[in-house]
Amino acid sequence: MRPHEFYIWMSYGMTALALAVEIVALRLRRARSLRRVEEERDLEAQD
Amino acid sequence: MKIPWFYFASPSTFYRLAGWMAPWFFVLAALFGAAGLYVGLVLAPTDAQQGEVYRIIFIHVPASWMSMFIYFVMACYGGVSLTFNTRLAAMMARALAPTGAMFTFVALWTGSFWGRPTWGTYWVWDARITSELVLLFLYFGFIALANAFEDPRRGDRAAALLALIGLVNLPIIYFSVVWWNTLHQGASVKLTGSTMQIQMLWGMLLMALSFWMYSIGASLTRVRAVILDRERRTHWVRALAT
Repeated sequence: MRPHEFYIWMSYGMTALALAVEIVALRLRRARSLRRVEEERDLEAQD
Repeated sequence: MKIPWFYFASPSTFYRLAGWMAPWFFVLAALFGAAGLYVGLVLAPTDAQQGEVYRIIFIHVPASWMSMFIYFVMACYGGVSLTFNTRLAAMMARALAPTGAMFTFVALWTGSFWGRPTWGTYWVWDARITSELVLLFLYFGFIALANAFEDPRRGDRAAALLALIGLVNLPIIYFSVVWWNTLHQGASVKLTGSTMQIQMLWGMLLMALSFWMYSIGASLTRVRAVILDRERRTHWVRALAT
């Protein structure tokens, strides 16, 4: 292992992880918003 | 040509526009990111003093820039929403905050992993680093405050006020290395020029462009979800869901 390789991998690895987590969170957020719209529509239909 | 600002400030129009634009910004982010990583990790030479560990700056510096720039844009949107009571500006401020917090965290994390082999410590209560940590807390405060009220418009106003007050932290971060005797080094890239080797500079600028494009793509994607939440009782949103 080259010197300082650990620090470089930890930096790039955490950046990749942070980006991946945010992208997943964005997809989940959109899915939740769409679900709430559906629920609202269903409630309206029942009235 | 006159831009119809009021037309684009309508959530229903902007929802569609953001949906069309966001994927292009993600594509640009990926292209600039690939180019930046190639230049930074393959083409750029080893640093004479720091060796290979300096390559952390290709993400550390752009992430730090984005953490401050996103905060500035978020506070501007907050100011616009407070002044003109525009719904979309407040929604954009909300959409930017998590991405800004993420880049602030990345800047602190990568700085820490650069600091250990360079300074001999992961953390030091240096003016630059401490003010960057304050920025992270400001983002957390903004997100918490925006979601603390049952009425989202009240949350918007409270969070916008916090964002505007927190603006004072940005010059402190930027000029901390000039105003105080800090362990953190001064800026290598200024508007007037750079002291960096050209491939190192290009690697950093390409990564900054990548992070910038990603930030726009992510905030446009998030603002669509915020619009859906806020406008879910309107006819146009219900028509979307059918």
